[in-house]
Amino acid sequence: MRENFAQWETLFLLNLKRDWKKIIVWILGFGLFSAAFVPAFKEIAKGNGLLGMFETLQNPAMIAMVGPTPVGTAVDYTLGAMYAHEMLLFCGLFSMVIAVLHVVGHTRKEEDLGLTELVRSFQIGRQANSFAAIMQIVFINLLLSLFISVVMISFDAETISVEGAFLFGASVGIAGIIGAAIALVMVQIMPASSSATGSTLGIIGLLYIIRAGTDVSNVDLSMLNPLGWTYLTYPFTENNWIALVFALIFSLIAVVVAFSLERGRDMGAGYLPSREGRESAANSLLSVHGLFIKLNRGTIISWLIAFIVMGAAYGSIYGDMQTFLESNEIMKQMFAQADVSIEESFTSTIMMVMIALVSILPIAIVNKLFAQENRAYLSQIFATKVTRSRLYWTSIGLAIITGAAGILIAAGSLGGTAVSAMGGRSTMEIADFLGSGFNFLPSLLFFIGLASLALGWSPKSGKVVYVYLAYSFLLNYFGGIVDLPEWFSKTAIQSWIPRLPLEDFDASIFITITLMSIALIIIGHFGYNRRDMIEGA
Amino acid sequence: MTEIVTIQGLQKKFGKFQALRDVSFTVNAGEVVGFIGPNGAGKSTAIRILLGIMKRDAGQAQIFGKDVWKDSLEIHKRISYVPGDVTLWGNLTGGEIIDLFLKLHGGGNKKKRDYLIKRFELDPKKKAKGYSKGNRQKVGLIAALSADSDLYIFDEPTSGLDPLMEAIFQEEVEKIKETGKSILLSSHILSEVERLADKVAIIRQGEIVESGSLDDLRHLTRSAITLVTEGDVAEMTNVNGVFDFEQKEDQATFSADNKHLDEILMAASKLGVKKFESVPPTLEDLFMRHYES
Ligand SMILES: Nc1ncnc2c1ncn2[C@@H]1O[C@H](COP(=O)(O)OP(=O)(O)OP(=O)(O)O)[C@@H](O)[C@H]1O
Ligand SMILES: [Mg+2]
Repeated sequence: MRENFAQWETLFLLNLKRDWKKIIVWILGFGLFSAAFVPAFKEIAKGNGLLGMFETLQNPAMIAMVGPTPVGTAVDYTLGAMYAHEMLLFCGLFSMVIAVLHVVGHTRKEEDLGLTELVRSFQIGRQANSFAAIMQIVFINLLLSLFISVVMISFDAETISVEGAFLFGASVGIAGIIGAAIALVMVQIMPASSSATGSTLGIIGLLYIIRAGTDVSNVDLSMLNPLGWTYLTYPFTENNWIALVFALIFSLIAVVVAFSLERGRDMGAGYLPSREGRESAANSLLSVHGLFIKLNRGTIISWLIAFIVMGAAYGSIYGDMQTFLESNEIMKQMFAQADVSIEESFTSTIMMVMIALVSILPIAIVNKLFAQENRAYLSQIFATKVTRSRLYWTSIGLAIITGAAGILIAAGSLGGTAVSAMGGRSTMEIADFLGSGFNFLPSLLFFIGLASLALGWSPKSGKVVYVYLAYSFLLNYFGGIVDLPEWFSKTAIQSWIPRLPLEDFDASIFITITLMSIALIIIGHFGYNRRDMIEGA
Repeated sequence: MTEIVTIQGLQKKFGKFQALRDVSFTVNAGEVVGFIGPNGAGKSTAIRILLGIMKRDAGQAQIFGKDVWKDSLEIHKRISYVPGDVTLWGNLTGGEIIDLFLKLHGGGNKKKRDYLIKRFELDPKKKAKGYSKGNRQKVGLIAALSADSDLYIFDEPTSGLDPLMEAIFQEEVEKIKETGKSILLSSHILSEVERLADKVAIIRQGEIVESGSLDDLRHLTRSAITLVTEGDVAEMTNVNGVFDFEQKEDQATFSADNKHLDEILMAASKLGVKKFESVPPTLEDLFMRHYES
């Protein structure tokens, strides 16, 4: 038993040495993101801020997005309570995703690359690498938790108690450990690293959506959800440490399961059987676009399914909104004054969120062209009469079509479910939802443009486009809560676009951003046609 | 003679595909065994089982008398391995990786490491992501050769090396051989195997089809003969053990079954030998016969 883990500490130290830069960025960057908004929240809390926020977040639609609060009355809604309420679920989710990517990268990915084979020929336990990876996650998340807690305490805010700050930090840290544990199980089951990452992120997405439902209907049920054990710790209010105990037990069990699954499989193999393929290519494969569609098919289908589920999950909340309004006098007045319906208001927010998520897919498709190039999969294609332009435009075209399909499906699914959930009381039609969704088409094109620019001129920075997407998403998301200076919020592309149906459609902005995106794509094409192909770097 | 590696009736399935059906051979102390066979025959699979990286379905596999799966760590103390495609961590330098491998192995020799880095003309300060294929291979070779082991397992170790470096590799392996270490060498470069190996095992579709010392195997096959006689050389066609007979004017070339060499010589001398040349079969000839059959 112990033999299986022999010398894990050597690999652990090696990994720290290999990753130290990444770890610093992870802890400092993500830690500050989680903890350093306290002053901004102090600003919101001034005057009637806390009261207003408390009422706003009673909206079931908002609960579905950010989670519930244990506080029953506005008087008890302190700065700490608000901070945990609005930040913790998101930070936990983020923490999980980063940990998943890291764990798969250090386990299955290295196996797929062939690194593990050499390492195992030494006196290294068969499972030492997995163990080192999970220990590294524990180590990083421990530091991250401490860092978050210390930063929060350092603001010296009255209701940010020391105990609460430590619990907040620990909740974010434990989220990473849960994510890593689930990833480690999927790593054993799936046939390759990409499917291990994809399926784990899919599971996390599903957990998020399930908890949206249970948070609204019955919070106790969310306590059965691994994701629930992060934000239901309720720091600064109930300080519910027991949730962390559940999380630890769950992670421990998942890791033990992962290790016993790993013992039963060969290096490089999974538990899902791989089928024998066809002997000769189908006609649909025999073209550049056929090849690209086939290569991206799995990704595209799983994302489109995710969009349907996501739209349906948020759409189902629309039925509860009127009920909520009727029970909440203050909110009723707020909406009456602003002369908008609660549904329209929610649609304009949720659409921004959904289209930001939809944008991930086309970016991934554009980036895939470089990933293929870098692994030298395309070298033999480059040597044929297929031009670079052909490869480029096929990728971009596929990205644009799937992006548009993504908007159609996400907005359609949201609208369809919403309209049927509202029944006869519906104030909106499906066309309103589609309009609101396609209003964001320029922003999606803009992300494709940025990815194309990277592909053409600096292909290794393709990942930065995701960073910018996350950045602009967060800016918009929190821009609704925190008052940001105009110039700052305008650094996000979505901020330029009016939110339909709350605001009016602005054709000139729609056209301008679209033209800018097309220009970016064309500039990217110039670069792609003249730069060196980068293989194996 | 002590058996260092013992494999008996090894079997391995990948899903429904039977990659190894029946693999048996031994490597004795001080012996170099060439492990050869066509692509996909199962060489790397057998080696991975020996390394305890994959689990066998049936059969016996032992190194130093210990089970390769259960006691793999104990075994790994005394072996070195180089795969045909050495993959490295891109952001570490070659020198760092060699040191790490020696540390993981436990029995490294710093002097030998420096000596080999010079010999193989490797730049140890370069990050691994900047290495060419051959240079990555050198990193693996240097780490394995400078570790002090009793068994060296090489799976196409020189793939991607230039001929000069290949020669250096062969010299270094010979040095190791002289110190009485055992080596299992799988390679498609048959001249390399022929030069280094005492014994070969030929595998085909997951089965060992031939094994034994090179001399024994040569004996089993045919030599290439060139013959000129006073009488009509065409009469040789009817002699037992003569194959692929070809005649150009009065000179005949054919391959002779070594088992029937005596009869062939007698028949030839009856005709009056003017010229007789015999070239022993190369490993390549041997191999081709097994490939094609
Ligand atoms: N992980 C695996 N999953 C499924 N099949 C495999 C796996 N590894 C090897 N095989 C199959 O087992 C057979 C033997 O493969 P192996 O790599 O041992 O061949 P090899 O003799 O080393 O060939 P080469 O000379 O090309 O290196 C092949 O048919 C291969 O396709
Ligand atoms: Mg092989």
